[in-house]
Amino acid sequence: MAKQPSKKQATKKNLKALTKNGRTKRIRSARRVVKYGAINFGRNIWLSTAATLVMTITLIILSITLVATVVLSETANTMRDKIDITLFFKPGTGKETLEVLKQVMENDSNVKSVEVRTSEEEYENFLKENANNTLLIETLEDPDMDMRATMISTMQSTMRLKVHDTENLDSIKEIVASDINFVKNLDETEEPTYDVNKAEIATITRWANIATTGGIILSAVFIVISVLVIFNTIRMAIFSRREEIYMMKLVGADSYFIRGPFIVEAQLSGVVSGILASGLSYLGFHFLEPRLAKYGINVDTVSNIVNSNKIVLVILAMILAGSFIGIISARLAIQKYLRNPSK
Amino acid sequence: MILLDHITKIYPGDKHPALDDVSLHIEPNEFVFLVGKSGAGKSTLMKMITKEEDPDSGKIIIGGIDLDYIRRRHIPHYRRRLGVVFQDFKLLPRRTVYENVAFALEIAGMSTREIKHTVPKVLELVGLIDQANKFPNQLSGGQQQRVSIARSVARQPKILIADEPTANLDSVTSAEIITLLQKINDFGTTVLVTTHNQNIVNMLDKRVITLKNGRIVADQKTGGIYKLDGEPEIIIDNSPKAPGFALKEEPPRTTISSAPKQKPKAAPKKPRIRRKVI
Repeated sequence: MAKQPSKKQATKKNLKALTKNGRTKRIRSARRVVKYGAINFGRNIWLSTAATLVMTITLIILSITLVATVVLSETANTMRDKIDITLFFKPGTGKETLEVLKQVMENDSNVKSVEVRTSEEEYENFLKENANNTLLIETLEDPDMDMRATMISTMQSTMRLKVHDTENLDSIKEIVASDINFVKNLDETEEPTYDVNKAEIATITRWANIATTGGIILSAVFIVISVLVIFNTIRMAIFSRREEIYMMKLVGADSYFIRGPFIVEAQLSGVVSGILASGLSYLGFHFLEPRLAKYGINVDTVSNIVNSNKIVLVILAMILAGSFIGIISARLAIQKYLRNPSK
Repeated sequence: MILLDHITKIYPGDKHPALDDVSLHIEPNEFVFLVGKSGAGKSTLMKMITKEEDPDSGKIIIGGIDLDYIRRRHIPHYRRRLGVVFQDFKLLPRRTVYENVAFALEIAGMSTREIKHTVPKVLELVGLIDQANKFPNQLSGGQQQRVSIARSVARQPKILIADEPTANLDSVTSAEIITLLQKINDFGTTVLVTTHNQNIVNMLDKRVITLKNGRIVADQKTGGIYKLDGEPEIIIDNSPKAPGFALKEEPPRTTISSAPKQKPKAAPKKPRIRRKVI
């Protein structure tokens, strides 16, 4: 005779049959959750609008912070690259001598690059830089006046240095002051330019740092505020519908079916705000781009992203960020009512 | 079908138990009234069955499932097996009559086609097919209770429990609701109705269990005139006797196709559930 199953085994078997949930059923449930989420989004249009606006503002602040950080650090780098130390040598210092001096300087570890120009090259460069000034060029190049030879004989040969650390130039100063070749050939009438742009660079570096740190803090604060506002918005919606949640639970709706539409609703707010924030940020950047460029602020990196296919990735990132804020807020808000909907 | 074995429940802060060593056994296809005054423990007993409350001691076995082994994640699935009708209807206010009934089927993962097929039939059964697109607040109390019943029977549960289903209704509407519940019982569903309305109990010739101060004081199998304030005529020892659970797979239930034809009252009913569950 077959052994009768124990009560526990029988219950377990019955429970297993009870909770059997096929793939088709799960897909149907997911579809219904999305449908009810979308319907709720429309039915609670005022709450949805409030949540969407808060999220949009947060995302715009987030994007402004990111753009400001990138732009300021790019500008600081550009400025740093522009720094060069120029050493002036007596007019007529020849190419060979300059090459020897270059080699000496290149041995210093702080030196990134060295460029030397003879007086002739300096003159050619001068002509190039002033190519628009036709009167000047015509005067200098007039064969009758023979200005060229005069100019070359008065123009200093130069050495332009780019360094890794602009704050620590002692080793370079040491070479300039003690190396015999330098001492012999340097033009005493003009001091080397060690400190040009230093103040401006310090300022821009400071602003870049402030923008990065401040941006991170501001973004974090706004994300928290946004989560709290959306959390409360959804909590209000849930509070007004707590009886409904209780009823749903009593007739056998599982947590997924109850929680799902709220999360979909919040996520929809996130998606809409992601698109809105992307559009507004795009328009804002296009408005500000020429104005910033006029002040010598480097907007190239951001401009390259905005004007290429990469903009799609930015929009997706914004939508994802909005959805993330929405999901986190909704989950936090509904948790309590799911556990104990009657309270 | 429903077995309560020495159930005791004391709510925190209460001196007296809400249920005190209650044992009862309801067979498949039975129609049982659970009566008693307010505070007798009827609602607590219902909450135990729907797993809203857990007993302090004792065992509850419903449809072959020992509720001790039900975990939080099982509860929704378990509740879908029960039909529950509430005193205050508990309808979803933002959904139409049709959507309220459909909701019970949607949460069970039924297909849209099946839902479209089933809901009109259930609404026809409760006589609300013309009100399908109305919202609950556009209906009378009796109609709302009919929607609640339609929702609870849409999944064709084996057990229907109704907690004071007529408490908010006038006597004519109450009679209609009870007739409807009896009709559902005729389809083979075990029905347990709590009430403190003696007219309703006396309308039908059914088993009546009386609760008083959390204890079962009477179990009248059939007949007799029940009086709420009267002392019970016979006290029956109804403690379960070696229930012997035969937990075989049940045959699939047929769908509700239309209202049943009038049956002679005395005709013996053939239980649709062929196994003895508890």
